[in-house]
This record gives sequence, structure tokens and C-alpha cells, in this order.
Amino acid sequence: MPLLEIRNLAVRYGEIEALRGVTIAVEQGQVVTLLGANGAGKSTTLRAISGLAKPASGDILFDGHSIAGLGPEAIVRLGISHVPEGRRVFPGLTVKENIMLGASNRKVGAAQISREADAMFDLFPDIRAFSNALGWTLSGGQLQMVAVARGLMAKPRLLLLDEPSLGLAPVIVQAVFRIISQIRKDTTVLLVEQNARMGLSVADHGLVLETGRIVLGGKPDELWGNEAIAAAYLGGHAKTHA
Amino acid sequence: MDLVLQLLFTGIGIGAVYALVALGFVLIFRATNVVNFAQGEFSMVAAYLMVVCVELGLPYWLSFVIALSGMALLGVIFNLGVYYPLRHRTYLPVIIATIGASILLSNSVLAIYGPQPQVLQGWFDTPGIQLGPVYLDSQYLLIIGVTILLVLFNFWFFEKTLLGKKLQATSQDKEMASLLGISVSTMIMITFIYSAVLGGLAGILVAPVLFVSIQMGSTIALKAFAATIIGGFGDVAGAIVGGLALGVIETFGAAYISVPYKDGFAFLVLIAFLVFRPQGIFGERVAEKA
Repeated sequence: MPLLEIRNLAVRYGEIEALRGVTIAVEQGQVVTLLGANGAGKSTTLRAISGLAKPASGDILFDGHSIAGLGPEAIVRLGISHVPEGRRVFPGLTVKENIMLGASNRKVGAAQISREADAMFDLFPDIRAFSNALGWTLSGGQLQMVAVARGLMAKPRLLLLDEPSLGLAPVIVQAVFRIISQIRKDTTVLLVEQNARMGLSVADHGLVLETGRIVLGGKPDELWGNEAIAAAYLGGHAKTHA
Repeated sequence: MDLVLQLLFTGIGIGAVYALVALGFVLIFRATNVVNFAQGEFSMVAAYLMVVCVELGLPYWLSFVIALSGMALLGVIFNLGVYYPLRHRTYLPVIIATIGASILLSNSVLAIYGPQPQVLQGWFDTPGIQLGPVYLDSQYLLIIGVTILLVLFNFWFFEKTLLGKKLQATSQDKEMASLLGISVSTMIMITFIYSAVLGGLAGILVAPVLFVSIQMGSTIALKAFAATIIGGFGDVAGAIVGGLALGVIETFGAAYISVPYKDGFAFLVLIAFLVFRPQGIFGERVAEKA
């Protein structure tokens, strides 16, 4: 049984059909990368899983139980942590406080959370020095590290990562993806990326989303191997930046 | 010089009341993005609760506890009845609902208690103490003391506790807070309870200095609102500094320029700030989201 199973999911924003019949299975321990252009529905898929967007039809099963229609607070308690687009680090809180709040889905004391947050800096040494800096003072790469660290504090069984490379310099993107390849040892990851090359480099399985539908799926090698598809959906080798 | 010290004391005393109400404004605004126009009525209702309890012959401290518990309950009812049903709407319906609640509260009290102002005795039997050239009124001393304690508590609560951080996170980004498992509706409930108690405390403290009347809430709230703008809207420290500044300014204005225009000075200062420094003393530190 897959850890996450999305069956024929449709999501509407008013008149607009953001997703129409998306089916995805993510096995325990896998990294699955969801690729696609702007507006294809990648973020909407993650928002539906984490409870921010309500499914119009279809079902979402986590560990065999339907979570479609549950609110975000309930879903993160089940063990799905969503690191959304734009990082959304609280600007008026410090780095450490942001990270500590990532454990809000678990019943643990403040002292324990503080210790866990300190330990998190071992995985993210680049932000350790900014522990007491306020969120709004950080650079994009630092914000992304904080956002991922905060997402991991939930001790998720499934981590949803939305465009971690967006707006970052290539060397920072590589640092972020090094972290993702470390995370994947313990956590199942559903990754959304526009940067196909980086996204597939850490993936067991890739999916291509186009105007609200999955149009292609397979192992990263197979996706890269298909020249026409690589050019159309993955940006092609020549056009790949990063 | 003696007069200056005396006026400073009185000004800070009355300013502390504005500061408490202003703090309530700011906390609710930060949590919900809405100005609660019934914030002043919280002060008024609490003062009447106090009058009722004292008239029933209950000890002063017990009346105080009952009145503040009543305010906590009012905070719950206010949240469930006024904010919660409209939470997914824009700010406008919520603001209108708070104005409606304000009218409902003042007219309910009017219907029950009638229009005559009531008198609430102070906490202490001694009216005050002479300290050198300055006469320290005991009620003003109490107001200043309680305000100092509350400001310290407020700082500790929001800066040092995890719950305080969750409240801050909720006020900065509700959707992200909910993604982390923070119960946004609980955080907003806590904010309303806390703000109602703060407003109530201000009303109970100031009642022996003013009369307890239906209008006391709107007068205090208007000054407190001006204080939040002077201090920098949405800023906790700004609300406190703005409140104290306003109290001092209007006391000095009344003493040196004109007593009948006492209320006018607060609004002159407000207008001056709106024209020359609309972001207030402390300004907005975090940019508004687009």
C-alpha cells in the first residue's frame, strides 16, 4: 500500500479547474518529483494534500485513510508536513523560534522542542549563526533552509516541498538539494519543482503535470531519455538553467 | 516645577488607561487584521459589572475577580458571535459587526441600568499620599502600578513563552500557522479573551476617577485609538508609549491652555501625526503584504 495515494483528484478555484483527475501514488521511502510549468497545478496538488485546498472530487488517502476534507491542522498532526511556496518564514520571529514552531503538531514540551531545534542546525549548519536573527532579515537561501528545517520539526512521515529552488542562486540550489538527499534517508518526500534537472536528480520517480493533469510518469532516466518529452516538459538540456 | 511633576503624574495615570485599551486594539488588530470598535465597550461593561458586584455587597477583591472573569467570558462570546462567523470574509463585514456589537453592548447596559452615571469607589480607603511637592492619588498609583505589571507580563508572555510565539505566528501568517498545526481559531480566541480582560481592567481602574457611564467606553476608546496611531499602528510598544504620551499631552494642555478643550488636544496631536508622521512613533517594522 502506498503511503500517499491520490485518486482522480479535482480542485476548483471558483470557475477555474486547477486540477482535473490527478492520480498519484507515493511509496514509503520514495522521493517523487512533480514537474510542470507555471500554472500546471503543482502547488495546488500539494495544497490539496495538506488541506489548504478543498478537493471538488476524488480522494486522498494517507496510510490507507482518507484525509480529503480534513483541515491543515489535523493533517499535519497525522504526519504530513508542507513547506509551501515562498518559504513563508514568520518575518517577526527569530530563526530558532520559526524552527521551534514546526513542532506545533506534536505534544512535546518547550524545553524538548528547543533541544530538537538546536539539533536541527546540525543538518543546516549555514543558518546556525542566524539562530537569533529575525525572519525578515534573511536571504532567500537562508529562508529556504529555515522553512525546510521548520517542516522537518513536525517529524513528518511525508514531507511536501514546494519549489525549494525558486529564486535561489545555483550554488544555494545545490546546497538545498544536498539537504533533500540527506532528508530522503528517513522521510518520504513529494517534491514540486520547475527546475527539472535538480528535481529529478534526487527522485525515485518523476511525474509531469500539465494543465491540471498528469501527462507523464516514470523513472528519472526514462523521462530524460524521451527527447521530445524532455524538450517539451522538462525544458530540454539546452534550456535548463541551474 | 511642582505643578509640572503633579501634572506628569496625573497624565501618566490617565495615559496608562489609554495604553491598556490601546494594547487591546493592537493585539486584536494583529491577530485578525480588524479594528475592534467595541474595545471601549469592554471597559464600560467591566466597570458596570464592578458596580453591580460592589452594590451587592461583595468584597472589592471578589468583585474585581468576578468582573474580570465576566470579561473573559465576554471575550469568548464576542469571538464566537462577532468574529468567528465572519472570519473568512474581508475585514469590512467584521468591522461593521464590531460596531454593531458596540451599539448592542452600550444599549443593553442602558436598558438594564438607565442613563444615570454611577459612582464606583476606589480600591483604597486612603485617597492618596503626599510625596514632597507631589500629591499621589492612590487610584492613579494603582493604575500606573497595574499597567507596569501588565506591560511586563505582556512582554514575558509574547517574547518568552511558546504560546506567545504561536500567537505572534498566527498574527503574521495564519495559513502558515495552520500548516504547522497551530490551532488558529484557538489563538484568536485567546487574543479576544486577553483583549477583553485588558479593556475591562482599564475600565475598572479608571472608573473611580471618572464616572461609570454608558459613554465612558467610547471616550476612552477614541483616545486609545488615537494612541495606537500616534505610537505606530499595530505596534505593541507604540500603543503603550502612544497612550502614555496622549495622557500627558492632554493633561498639560488642560492645565496650561484650556480645560474645556482637553479632549481636543488629543485629536490635534492625532491630526498632526496623521499629516506629518502617519506611520507613528515606531512605524511599521514589517512591510504590509501585497
